[in-house]
This record gives sequence, C-alpha cells and structure tokens, in this order.
Amino acid sequence: MIRYLLPLIALVLFFLEPVFGLFSPLQLDGVYYYIVPRFLLMFLIFVTVYYDAKHAMFYGLFFGLLYDVFFIDIIGLYSFLYPMMCLIAGYIVKSVHRNLIVATLLTLVLTALFEFVLYLFFSFIALASMPVDVFLTSRLLPTMIANSLFLVMLGWAFKSVIVARLIERENSKV
Amino acid sequence: MSRFFSNKRLILLMLGVILLVALISYSLRDRDNVSFPEQIIKDTVGAGQSLFSGPAHFVTGIFDNVDSLLNTYKENQHLKGRLEEFAAVKAEVTDLRSENDQLKEIVGKEADLRDYNPIQATVIARNPDQWEEKVILNKGESDGVMENMAVMTAQGLIGKVTLVTATTSTVELISTQNPNYRVSSMVIGGEEGVFGLIEGYDAERRELLLKRIDAQIELEVGQQVVSSGLGGIFPKGLIIGEITEITIDEFGLTKLAYVKPSADFTLLNHVMIADREMPETKGEDEGVATEEEGS
Repeated sequence: MIRYLLPLIALVLFFLEPVFGLFSPLQLDGVYYYIVPRFLLMFLIFVTVYYDAKHAMFYGLFFGLLYDVFFIDIIGLYSFLYPMMCLIAGYIVKSVHRNLIVATLLTLVLTALFEFVLYLFFSFIALASMPVDVFLTSRLLPTMIANSLFLVMLGWAFKSVIVARLIERENSKV
Repeated sequence: MSRFFSNKRLILLMLGVILLVALISYSLRDRDNVSFPEQIIKDTVGAGQSLFSGPAHFVTGIFDNVDSLLNTYKENQHLKGRLEEFAAVKAEVTDLRSENDQLKEIVGKEADLRDYNPIQATVIARNPDQWEEKVILNKGESDGVMENMAVMTAQGLIGKVTLVTATTSTVELISTQNPNYRVSSMVIGGEEGVFGLIEGYDAERRELLLKRIDAQIELEVGQQVVSSGLGGIFPKGLIIGEITEITIDEFGLTKLAYVKPSADFTLLNHVMIADREMPETKGEDEGVATEEEGS
C-alpha cells in the first residue's frame, strides 16, 4: 500500500502550502518578511534523489499544472519549472554520493534556484518591481530559513517513506 | 554532458520550451472567461483546499482568542472610554438615517449607490508564492458572485473579484502591482467629496496611491478615503484608508496622496463580497465602463 503513499504525501503537501502561505508576510520591527512554503518541490526533489526522476517529473508536471491553474493563472510556469528542477536534481545525483545530508543540501540549493528563477520571471513580465537586494533579504533568506527548518524536521521521514516504497517495488519485481 | 543533451532529449526540451512560451502568452492575455477545463480544476482543487483551510482557520482562531484574552484589561479600559462617545454617535446616526430616509422619500429616490447585498465568504487559500497578491474564496457563481465585485473585511476594502468559477472566486488584492487596477474613490471630511482614483501601490511604504486629484483642492493628512461608487461596479462608501502624505504627481498637474489602507491584508480569514443593488456596468471599475457610458 506504500505504492499510493507517495502521491498522497505530494497531494497533502500541495494543499498545505497555501495554508502556511496564509501566515505570510511576517512583520518584524516594521519590516515585512515573505515566507514561501516550498514543501512540494522539496518532496519532489527527494523523490528524484531516492526513487527515480521519471516519477518525480510526472508528479511535478501534474501538481505544477494544478498550481498554475488554481493559483497564478499563468499556465506553464510551475508545470515547467517543477519537472525542470527534478531533471537537474536527477542529473546531479548521478555523480554524487546519496545520503541524507547531501540530499538536504541539494534540495535547498535547488529551492533557492527555483525562487530566483521565479523572481526573474515575474520581474520580466513586470508583475514585481523589487530590487535584487530587497529580494534577497526580504524573500529569499526568510523563505530558505523556514524551508530548511521544515526539511531538517521531515527530511528523514520523506527518506524512509520513499525508501520503503523502493523496497516494495524491488520485492514485487522478484 | 554529451549524453545529457542527446538529440532526442534536445528536441523534447525545445518542444517543451515552445509549448511553455505559447501557454504562458495565452494565459497572460487579458482573459474574460476561464476555460472549461480550468473551471473544473479550480472547483476540484478548491473543494480539497477547503478541507485543509477549515482546521487551519480553527487553529489561528484559538491563537487569536488567547491573544485577545491577554489584552483584555487594556482593551477594556480603552473601550470604556469610548463607550460614552459611542452612545452619542449612535443617537446621531439613527437620527440622521431616518432624516435621510425621509428626504429620499420626498425626492422620490429609491436606489442608492450605497446599497449592496453582502455575500459572506471564507478565504480558503492565498497564492503561496506571493508574487501576485491573490486570495481564493469559497463562494462562486452559484452564490451570486460575479466578476469585479468589491471584496472587503470589517475594516475596509481589500480587493475585487477577478475570476469566478461555480464554487470559487479569485480576488486580486488592492495591494497589487497590476497597473490596470483602479478604484474610483473620494476623500471625505471636507465640505464635499473630493474625487480621485486609487491607482497603484507603493510596496515599500505599504500604502496606496490616490491619483488625479484636482491641484486646486486642499487636502489634509488624516482625511478618510472611501470608494465613490462612480466607477460603475463598487458600491459607494466602502472605507479604503486614511491619507498620510500629500504630494504633487510626476507631471506636476494633479495631486497625489498616499493612503494607508485601513484593512489588514496579512491574515485574511472571513471576508464579505459586496453585490451592488444598482445595476453594474460591464468592465473594470473606472476602466472600460466609462467609455461605454460615454459612447
């Protein structure tokens, strides 16, 4: 039954993101900090690292499409970027040793890259007019801190679920 | 590297990029209607999202309650001070209201730009990437919500409905960077209303820009800004905010005022959609509508 667990976790994370999004922006000393939950992306990269890139890209396409239609009304943005990030992760992971710390670091780097690409895109279509330094301090930094906290807390759970699924798949082949 | 970019993959990638650009440019156009598959996706995801946002609102509600419990003493002192004032104001309001009704009866004026039917709605999601200021509500076409209706909280106007499906609606907040987002508004507090347009948002100051005010008119800091109802869509008299600074605009012809919004956009929970009783014009508030009226 672990077979259905991965899409289920992805679905729950997809629905949890906007719920956590309701708490942002955070105001501290009159300065606003934007925290963007990227649970689903981090989970997808974990799936890429421990399971396989094809599944992750497929989930990425599906949930990216939902995300595009439901939230931002620009179809093709997330549904392209999610699989793209999984592809990059899949390429990198071939040449490095797989362990939890490497996976966590890789995920965080890719999440930061993802945020930055989105920033470039929204600046390009002129929806955001934010200087780079403001973006780095008020968006990227708090987002990365919050997401790394989430990942440090739940990364091992992701890993154990995905590995359990992997073992199940191997057994069913035999 | 050569294996990564094999021919087949390269072609696939190129096709993907072309498809992406085509889709993005399609969806970036100003679309009036949501296509049918989009409607289905929005409604389904909206239903799922409601399941998650319900408990979340419950939890934030508990924190809010604890927070207000801790402030009870201070608030009580403050409120006691206001209570006497309140009684006097209330009496005056009742008096003025009945007088207003009588006068309207004499003139024979029935409909008013002020009248609207409130539709209660709950915020089920906020765009998590927060580049566009959008929230999604759990009421849609089947509840009488239509595009361009004003959305507000008890404190004041927060935005307008931009997309509607059967059971959800997307609200673009007034704090958006979208240049086509205008609200016809007026400043009250002087002898008569001063009209202007809320046009744009200063993200650094977190204040709205009230533009196109006649340069001859004297304004004061602290005056209230409300919607004027003349844009054709919003009802009259929804509170928008308070003037904090007055300057001259970039062309030096009209005045520009910074308006601090009275509503708080950060933790939105329950909101109200204003369905105006007077017939609404098509198009945006102060947008296409005025042109249609003119021609």
